[in-house]
Amino acid sequence: MKSLQIAATGMAAQQMRVDVISNNIANMSTAAYRPRVAEFSDLVYQQYLTPGTITSQLGTVVPAGIQVGTGVKASTVSVEITQGSMRQSGGELDLAIDGNGFFEVQLPDGETVFTRDGKLNRSQDGQIVTMDGYPLADGITIPDDANRISISRDGQVTAYFDNTETGQSIGVISLVSFVNEKGLEAVGDNLFRLTEASGDANRQVAGTNGLGTIRQGFIEDSSVDVVKEISDLIEAQRGYELNSKVITASDEMLAATTRLR
Amino acid sequence: MSNSIYATLSRQDGLLKELQVVANNIANTNTTGYKTDRAIFAEYLVSTGDQTPSLSMGALAGHTFDLTQGTVKFTGGQFDLAIQGEGFFALQTPAGERLTRAGAFQLSATGELITPDGANVLDSGNTPIQIPPEAASISIAGDGSISADGELLGQIGVFRANGQLQRDTDTRFTAEGGTEAIENANVLQGAVEQSNVSPVLEMARMIKVQRAYEAGQNVLEQEHQRSTQYISTVGNR
Repeated sequence: MKSLQIAATGMAAQQMRVDVISNNIANMSTAAYRPRVAEFSDLVYQQYLTPGTITSQLGTVVPAGIQVGTGVKASTVSVEITQGSMRQSGGELDLAIDGNGFFEVQLPDGETVFTRDGKLNRSQDGQIVTMDGYPLADGITIPDDANRISISRDGQVTAYFDNTETGQSIGVISLVSFVNEKGLEAVGDNLFRLTEASGDANRQVAGTNGLGTIRQGFIEDSSVDVVKEISDLIEAQRGYELNSKVITASDEMLAATTRLR
Repeated sequence: MSNSIYATLSRQDGLLKELQVVANNIANTNTTGYKTDRAIFAEYLVSTGDQTPSLSMGALAGHTFDLTQGTVKFTGGQFDLAIQGEGFFALQTPAGERLTRAGAFQLSATGELITPDGANVLDSGNTPIQIPPEAASISIAGDGSISADGELLGQIGVFRANGQLQRDTDTRFTAEGGTEAIENANVLQGAVEQSNVSPVLEMARMIKVQRAYEAGQNVLEQEHQRSTQYISTVGNR
């Protein structure tokens, strides 16, 4: 009774889809979160009769053969590359990327990771750090006596002081792009790590080489579309039920067989 | 033994396989680019000796799939492609060239257009497609032409299969008789073709299979009772 196992693979796939959807919905308010989507593909086919098998000396062949499928598997859970909407927050160190790119963040162990979440802060020694206190890899330190910071669209950071009108450039926040953004490994806390599949990190000035621009005073919202997630959830739930009906039918057919004697 | 038992058994065996086909369709209701499977039954005759008419049996004879267009779902993904109408994308896999209608593609670390499991997508000249990494916007036109920032890069190949298609895993097909490029293909960027399984039809088929199986079991049951009765009647003489 292979249909039992086939339906079980179907239920497992729908279950996984619900897991992915629930994670998306849970992150509907996470800054710069991008929804994940589960993709499925069919499993190997069992060949009862291979098409093209010769059926006579005249060279006639089996036209279609008998190939019976064995179910479904998850092929990938990929990140949808979408731009979240820009929410004005007014924060001096709230940065949103309008377009392609990531900020580069230095972890305490020296590894660099990447994020689009631009809710940044000033640390006790003046460094620009993420919410978790990890400094940006650009290594910008804001002078203690600066009363205002301005960040241009191409990432130029300028500090303004009480006694002068002209600002002083204190560094540049550059952005990083990847050939295959979907290949980045999510490590939690809105951070991503480079992998074989993503390609090397390509560090450039914002606004050049296909990179987006930096918007000061904005936060990129989560790009989860709740309506779409809910409709996918309904689809996944009904799919799960359909597969469970196949299990019931297979079970009843088995019962009919055992009733014979 | 009674011929009716053999004839029914061949039918029951076929029904079990058909249920397997239905189960596979239902399991793949959300598989991108999946095409509904169909089982074909045919009668075959078995000789039962010189003096008696031959016995007709039913068995699974063939297998086909429904290539009708699945619903196109808009995803907005830059490399999500759907073919409207006829044709397949060609992939270069370690096992040889494969065809697919599942167009959720992405870029490799070196900028080649690939499937999620790393097979190269081929252009109309059967070569892998290379996308420049610094391109800000990639657009794929209706005829499959790929352009990066307004510069034409090539054309996504859409192929027609010559001869029979054979199913492979991962919603792929093998073309026995080779492929030929389609001139006026219709490719849609930012969308993927969903599975063309109709849950209602599959449920109806499943119920039909289940009832037919139960009917077959009843035939076997009655045949069993009939022969038991026959043995006891004849044995009592």
